[in-house]
Amino acid sequence: MLARIAHELYWLGRNLARAEFTARAVEAVFQAELQGTSESRPGVSFGSGGLLAMFGDAHESPRASEALGQLTLDAGRPGSMLASIERAREGARTVRDVISAEMWEAINTTTLGLRGGGQPGWAAPAGPYLASQYVKERTALIWGVANRSMLRDEAKCFLDAGGLIEISDMVLRMLRIALPSGDSSPADGHALILLQAVGGFHAYLRAVTAPPNAQPVARFLLFERAYPDSVAACVDSLHEVFSSADAGPRNSKPVLRVSRLAADLDFQRRALPDGAELTGICQQTQQELARIDQDVAERYFAGAATAGARR
Amino acid sequence: MSSGLETAAVGGYRPQRPFLDELFAPDGTPRPTANALVQELRRLGPAGLIEAGRRRDAIFMQQGITFETSGGSSGIDGSKERPFPLDLVPRVLSGEEWRAIKRGLAQRIRALNHFVDDVYHAREIVREGIVPWRLVASCTHFARAVHGIRPPGGVYTHVAGCDLVRHSDGSWKVIEDNVRIPSGISYVLENRAAMARLVPELFASYRVRPVEHYPQLLLGALRAVAPSAESEATVVVWTPGPANPAYFEHAFLARQMGVELVEASDLVVRDDVLYMRTTRGLERAHAVYRRLDDDFVDPLEFRPDSLLGVPGLVRAYRAGSVAIANAFGTGVADDKAIYCFVPDMIRFYLGEEPILENVRTYLLSEPEVLEHVLAHLDELVIKPTGESGGRGVMIGPHADEAEVERMREVISAHPERWIAQDVVRLSTVPTVGADGTLEPRHVDLRPFAVFGERIDIVPGGLTRVALREGSLIVNSSRGGGSKDTWVLEDGDDADRAGPPIADTQPPALPDLRYGEWTGQQQQQQQQRPGH
Repeated sequence: MLARIAHELYWLGRNLARAEFTARAVEAVFQAELQGTSESRPGVSFGSGGLLAMFGDAHESPRASEALGQLTLDAGRPGSMLASIERAREGARTVRDVISAEMWEAINTTTLGLRGGGQPGWAAPAGPYLASQYVKERTALIWGVANRSMLRDEAKCFLDAGGLIEISDMVLRMLRIALPSGDSSPADGHALILLQAVGGFHAYLRAVTAPPNAQPVARFLLFERAYPDSVAACVDSLHEVFSSADAGPRNSKPVLRVSRLAADLDFQRRALPDGAELTGICQQTQQELARIDQDVAERYFAGAATAGARR
Repeated sequence: MSSGLETAAVGGYRPQRPFLDELFAPDGTPRPTANALVQELRRLGPAGLIEAGRRRDAIFMQQGITFETSGGSSGIDGSKERPFPLDLVPRVLSGEEWRAIKRGLAQRIRALNHFVDDVYHAREIVREGIVPWRLVASCTHFARAVHGIRPPGGVYTHVAGCDLVRHSDGSWKVIEDNVRIPSGISYVLENRAAMARLVPELFASYRVRPVEHYPQLLLGALRAVAPSAESEATVVVWTPGPANPAYFEHAFLARQMGVELVEASDLVVRDDVLYMRTTRGLERAHAVYRRLDDDFVDPLEFRPDSLLGVPGLVRAYRAGSVAIANAFGTGVADDKAIYCFVPDMIRFYLGEEPILENVRTYLLSEPEVLEHVLAHLDELVIKPTGESGGRGVMIGPHADEAEVERMREVISAHPERWIAQDVVRLSTVPTVGADGTLEPRHVDLRPFAVFGERIDIVPGGLTRVALREGSLIVNSSRGGGSKDTWVLEDGDDADRAGPPIADTQPPALPDLRYGEWTGQQQQQQQQRPGH
């Protein structure tokens, strides 16, 4: 397929996943901050400030409601859900001949629904929550339509690859901000908010017997292969999609690199003792993902590279 | 006419004299073919039409069938996008009428194709003294770069859209030929799909000939002319990019044909062969349906400052390794000055009498003609020769003094860049107004023809309608809308696809079991007495 189209699809996937995970995080923080601090010791620090830091906006310390507002419907902020969805729509418009009409409509309708302050009633204090709900539902619908209506060919592979790399990146960002750093963390209090922020609460309860404290939650989000949004599961799936999209996967740099990362994550999971510090691994993994992103651009999108400058 | 219901026009609709109304006779009664349609419209009423219009806008916005009003910005808020204006009253053409139009168009397009070939080769029509050479050479779209190139099959005008109007005496006339990159076919298909969703009741008493096979016709024609020996030809649609006002159509056609939509950055010429950049390296493209003007296609041969072009493309074309639709240089045939000569071309190349007439046109290069035109500016339509899309057109009877004066100066300075035409009394079709009532509005018709191994014309075409009262300008960029165009089946057409779906009997399948229901029931019944 055309390199430019593959590039657009990859970024379409990234933008959709970005919007969805922003929505999940905003929703979790909104609910958490509404309730005040709980009695049991929190093992992680993740609030509206942390949320902004995830998008590189750490310098300001605005009030919580403002921070959440900025991340939902503020088209001027590149990290807002609306901005992500708008970028997704622009991308979808460019690849309208490749994605199904249904999928384009789903993306377009989502954008129209978010523009101009969103739906009536969103201005109320519950605005960020309602907008997040909407984005969550709509992205679920968009991915659902994509899975049912798109051919499982190269195009779908690149769309999925973008989504997967963005999900793992979002999870890693969140972990790096929320996890207590280095040695100063003897405390291991509850970390429910992390699970809520990626929508993995229920899965965690079913997969892990330990209470949802920082350590087991972080391990779960990093290593649990059975949970589809964990970093390890995403990396596994990335390996799958690149292997099937690549003409010569045996000597393809991105495929080899992803495959090494998958093995490395598996090794760490088994080798690391309980209670070991995880921020270092998060950082390394994220750097490795950035290198994969680069390799992908070089191997598949060569010639379309000029278009990448605008991201 | 059995009841009063049929004799009265809908909501007091009155055809406007002296124009011909296509649905109503001058006395306000529906024409025979429109009878059932008018009854359904009456049943819908203004409220029903307004409601359907609201749903139409919502659907079009949702599907992104929009156009940008002006400025062309694709900014974050996207507020410049408007739903494409489709009027809910269809235009109805009888099968007999359509057959005449179709024959006329095929004849005309064949002649135009001969003309393009002739202009870039032997120039016989010039040597016979029928078309003056200086007129050909001065055309904006005459392309010296392609002299002597003959594309596969000798086809230049693969896609053509001639604009037709209907005079008040009922005759059809050609007002303009478009053989460069005529656009609008996507709206023909989308309009039909939308009408079937919005107002299915209107179709009830009619058998309307389908239009949705156009993309397959086009793909077939492109494959037929593609120079590929071994494998199936790779066809691509080439768009200038998402900022182009017709981008929707480019993407639509690519999707409907199942081919790649490429931009200039995707294409590269190596050793006179055209390739596209893919995730697996370079892949060859055999046929390009290009949707940008000659000027921009190749900076080495045409405009050197074009950023939208592919260097070396014309060389590849000359080498015969790639087919381009429409061929480079076809613009010479749709120049408005050349238009006057099309009836002569038909006689010269085909030895036939033209079936469709031209509108009377004045070439201003003759001093006495110029003088006559300048004296009657307020009664004529003045058009620039090298433009399209209604740009720069002045309609004499509708222009004010100042406009006419300005035009007089411009024409006197460069008479060769303008033509004058008689004002055509465009026919009208009832159109839904803002309050849901029907009002007469002027229309034209752009049928689309595809020329591959033969000429195919999709039944109907794009009917454009001037939405403002009395206006004769139908271009969508200048406040025009469109209508679904129905060609009725009368069982007398050779190229009809087959019997209507509703009339075909499905085969009987006695061995078909519906799930395992019968089996389950039998089991349960067998178990019951056993208890």
